[in-house]
Amino acid sequence: MNTSWNHPWGLSRIAHGLSRRAALKVGGMGLFGFTIPKLLRAAEQVSRSTPSSRAKVRSIIFLFQWGGPSSIDMFDRKPDAPEGIRGPLRSISSSLPGVPVCEGLERTAKILKECTLIRTLHHTMSNHNSAGYYALTGHAPPSDDQRLRDSMDLYPAYGSVIDRLAPANAELPTFVAYPHVISDGSITPGQHASFLGKAHDPLLFRQDPNLPDFGLPELSLPAGVSMERLQNRREMQKRIDQQTHLMDHAAGARGLDAYYDRALSMLQSPKLRKAFDIGSEPLAVREAYGRTTYGQSCLLARRLAEVGSKFISVYFADTIGGISTESGGWDTHGFNNTRMFPIVQKFHLPITDQTLPTLITDLKDRGMLDTTLVVWVGEFGRTPKINGNASRDHWPHCYTALLAGAGVKRGFVYGASDKQGAYPEENAVRPDDLAATLYHLMGIPPQTEIRDLADRPLPISHGNVIEGILA
Amino acid sequence: MDLVTLPAERWNQSLQIELRSTGGGELSTNESKLHEQPHWRALNCRGKLHFLLVLLTALTTEYSHAATSFRTEIVPLITRAGCSMGACHGNATGKGGFKISLRTEDPANDHAVLTEEWLGRRINRVDPDQSLLLLKATAQIPHEGGQRFRTDSDEYRMLRAWITEGASDDATHAPTLTQLEVTPLEVVVESPQSFTQISATAVWSSGRRQDVTRRVVYESSNVQVSVSDEGRVTGKGFAETVVLVRFLQLQSPVRIAFIPQREGFIYAAPRKENYIDDHIDQKLQRLKILPSAVCSDTEYVRRIFLDLTGTLPSAEEARRFVSDSSPTKRTQWVERLLVNPAYADHWALKWADTLRVEERSLDVHGVTSFQRWIRERVASNQPVDQFVREILSAAGSTYSRPESNFYRAVRDPFSRGEAVARIFLGTRLQCARCHNHPFERWTQADYFDWASVFARVRYTVLENQRKDDLDQNEFIGEQIVWHSDEGSVTNAKTRLPATPRFLGATPSEPVEDPLNALAQWMTAPTNTLFARAQANRIWAQLLGKGLVDPVDDFRATNPGSNPSLLDALARDLVDSGFDQRHLIRRIVASRTYQLSSVPNPTNADDDSNFSHALVRRLSAEQILDAVSQVVGVTPEFHDQAQGTRAASIRGGSPNPRYGETPADRFLAVFGKPERQLACDCERSAETTMSQAFQLVSGPLVQDLISRPKNRLSDWLSNSASPERVLEALYWSALSRPPNPQELDHFTPKLTHSPNARAELEDLTWAVMNAKEFLFRK
Repeated sequence: MNTSWNHPWGLSRIAHGLSRRAALKVGGMGLFGFTIPKLLRAAEQVSRSTPSSRAKVRSIIFLFQWGGPSSIDMFDRKPDAPEGIRGPLRSISSSLPGVPVCEGLERTAKILKECTLIRTLHHTMSNHNSAGYYALTGHAPPSDDQRLRDSMDLYPAYGSVIDRLAPANAELPTFVAYPHVISDGSITPGQHASFLGKAHDPLLFRQDPNLPDFGLPELSLPAGVSMERLQNRREMQKRIDQQTHLMDHAAGARGLDAYYDRALSMLQSPKLRKAFDIGSEPLAVREAYGRTTYGQSCLLARRLAEVGSKFISVYFADTIGGISTESGGWDTHGFNNTRMFPIVQKFHLPITDQTLPTLITDLKDRGMLDTTLVVWVGEFGRTPKINGNASRDHWPHCYTALLAGAGVKRGFVYGASDKQGAYPEENAVRPDDLAATLYHLMGIPPQTEIRDLADRPLPISHGNVIEGILA
Repeated sequence: MDLVTLPAERWNQSLQIELRSTGGGELSTNESKLHEQPHWRALNCRGKLHFLLVLLTALTTEYSHAATSFRTEIVPLITRAGCSMGACHGNATGKGGFKISLRTEDPANDHAVLTEEWLGRRINRVDPDQSLLLLKATAQIPHEGGQRFRTDSDEYRMLRAWITEGASDDATHAPTLTQLEVTPLEVVVESPQSFTQISATAVWSSGRRQDVTRRVVYESSNVQVSVSDEGRVTGKGFAETVVLVRFLQLQSPVRIAFIPQREGFIYAAPRKENYIDDHIDQKLQRLKILPSAVCSDTEYVRRIFLDLTGTLPSAEEARRFVSDSSPTKRTQWVERLLVNPAYADHWALKWADTLRVEERSLDVHGVTSFQRWIRERVASNQPVDQFVREILSAAGSTYSRPESNFYRAVRDPFSRGEAVARIFLGTRLQCARCHNHPFERWTQADYFDWASVFARVRYTVLENQRKDDLDQNEFIGEQIVWHSDEGSVTNAKTRLPATPRFLGATPSEPVEDPLNALAQWMTAPTNTLFARAQANRIWAQLLGKGLVDPVDDFRATNPGSNPSLLDALARDLVDSGFDQRHLIRRIVASRTYQLSSVPNPTNADDDSNFSHALVRRLSAEQILDAVSQVVGVTPEFHDQAQGTRAASIRGGSPNPRYGETPADRFLAVFGKPERQLACDCERSAETTMSQAFQLVSGPLVQDLISRPKNRLSDWLSNSASPERVLEALYWSALSRPPNPQELDHFTPKLTHSPNARAELEDLTWAVMNAKEFLFRK
């Protein structure tokens, strides 16, 4: 029989009944021999046990294709459409019968039998920042605005929600995001914890894993300083902080303070340090992923999934790009007298074709594809009709996501677009539904509520689990 | 009259549609869930009889006058239905082959588009219900924009009537809108009341007054506050918003505050010091908010040093200030700090961020000379208007005329126009390049005419030794910036050359050098936007938030928290001859500046009316310079002279690819920008996990604390008592003495430790990681 101590609700009630502020006020003082942080941790552990037992996926690697790749060229080919729609790229057959991809994706074609394609993602946000926020949170933004302003009213990133509801072991960051902060004129909302509080922000870094000296020096103890000393420092710091009560009324100070605890537990973790030691990876593996920022970022994602991080966001580029063959995202409008196809053929497709199949194959070879889900998606697709610059513009009305790994079918296509790839014809899917599915696979019911700053209960997703793709 | 043309079956059809969707209408899922607003077209009548009555009333009142007017009825209708929004057919490229002007601001064009394009298929005068316009807007045939209104709506009937009557443009005889009267313009709604009603009246050139409450467009700036299509504004708790009311070419902002119930509220505030406090008091009184108390001396001394010089007071200075018994010591110390060399470093740094003083485009000579040029002008208190005039009219070698580096960094007319508007007028224009922005007054014509002002800047590149051949933005070598006699940009919309025209100004006579004329126009006392934008920047730097926030986003929909105060500050700045020190003196003398950050029960939720000090993290440079001041060691920066303070570094954060030291890395993690954008937004004041790592285990802090010859070794070698060491540490780092509890706790640690040095290092770390160290309160 359950006693009040180990009843799941018993402890979480105690923890929930204390406001953050109250918890901080009494923090450090004994309470029946329990300090409040311990009590909170205990409650978290109770609530944690539930999602993980339901989870079909241990880690999600979210490869965000900023700028918006063209589905019609890559994964939703329309060989019978007029040339102004099907585009200049030739089709090649893939390991999934009847599902061609474009030339340039020869290696990707071979691993398509491991993937689920969702061909009917759609929404109405035609600006990058609004659509990007939608893709990164699964919630429609309040407006379709090129400069959608980031605010604490907006929803948190997937990884932050997972960190709140089903966190990784305390010594590991649940949510890691790199190697860019994405923006289009202004920083794209949806990359952090928003109203969940800074404690749930990702471990974010912008160092390039492809640089020879890559490493996060912060993840090792400074020379000559033991862990005991760091803990001694932290105790003294807390004592001084108690004198001013600054944290009672300054959210920023509170947020920074929460980071100290996490930093200390991560520092004690040899696992995490090892994960970042990308140089210990055999040269052949590093070459196979591609010696690009994106390639090595994907390799690092595998290493982070391996140690137990739960949501790893790899951003393809920091900008929407589309005009360079050396950097930037997928936003190929043909502006400034550039042309889409030479650019993607020289830059975006080769990188993708080197890295994506390598990651999926590597995960499979290590038996990790049964616990790890790879999601490859942009904020929208591109217009079926080729524009006056022989390029394609934004198209949120129908685009494709590629999923591979735990929890989803292998070698499966869900939904169908119309003849021109312009609108969903069957099984339309909204970003909300994809979000619901990701949460479901992580063992978190999508209707779970979180509270915003006004203490309103909000479901983490308004979408429906896409039952059709579940394995 | 219209009743006759409405066949009976259509009545039934309308009724059925209505009954099917009783109580909600067809909500798009996104809207319904995010905003929980009633659908803006939903009618709430439930019975047939009630519905008929409503319809009859509507028909008799709305259509009792002669013909339906395109100019005064259809144009607002199209605008309100959202058809001409920037995201829809008002887009510069239109949508689905149908493109009208943004916000229907070009009715003649739009009439032609509606009635003539596609052989007039959009309008069917014979069978009006088959008009593409109506079929699309009601989503009877697929419409990407969804259903804008229903077949049983007033909008449908009005459009249909206009088509039936011939769909003509009454340009020649329609009255024009002369005034839009909106009431109330400002209102405070106190709980338990939870809503307020806006009403709008149009005054036409014919003299007719018309209630247009249900015909205008409403937009709220705060998502916590909702506004219905009928002008009913609902909110709860404490929330301030601006609702923009738009009708035809006119718009009017309405400020609304929702406040919790406070019965028997009596306003009380610490003593007023100057006019600033009058304006703040007025606002707080209306909102029933009490200001916090005035801050203590130990708080003040730290605050005024950080705000004016970017540095901490030394232990000695802090002690001296606190023990100074003069009643006017606060103002006296301000005078001293205003002539402190660190004042010039600190305020020059702000300009250097926004003026893009960065090495990639300016090279090391340019960065050094431009930085020095800015700093000298801040140090000599050059009037701000003169400073700006010199920058705007700059020409010459980027090596010998440092100010010409401003144009060297912004290489095309569009970037120049955008940067100048942003930095000097607090105005964001980027959106107007591609489309007229729905929330801003600037049109594409404004944008291109303004960019044309900057189209005659030319460069003679004397040499370029760039390291990265592929980097078009990298320049190493001298350049001459000069102004050509000709040059303009092409308006992307009209495809015609744009005539130089200052932002928001009427076209002027062609001038020989538009940039010299610009410099005069910009800084003329009559250009109140310039003075307000500059006063707002100074205010924001001292108080932590602009009166208009963000400081580069002045627009009708973002009117700021206290416009009368901003006007007064701007006047003060102009009257003083654009004397920055004068305005700083005025602001820091106010009681408002001196308030404590500790809130009271009435002002805890307020973060925009300056009822208490805003706690904020120190900037990257401030934190590093403070750490280095406390331990008495300056770190090394990439390519900077030994002993350089972080605040005096020329240039932005270095590109890690070309080398950075742990100190550079520290600054980047804490938000020092690379200065790739002419924008304050690039500098981040966020707190992040990486910052905690920098502080806990980063190489820099540990290195500075543990260097054998630093301030810690002085303290220990003087064989001072542990109490003395503690006092020295506290006063240097926290500008206050340790309190009895802290003495009790830390003294034994320092006394009994076998390794006093390690213990002191740990305590120093703890003090420098205290939130009162890292945050300005």
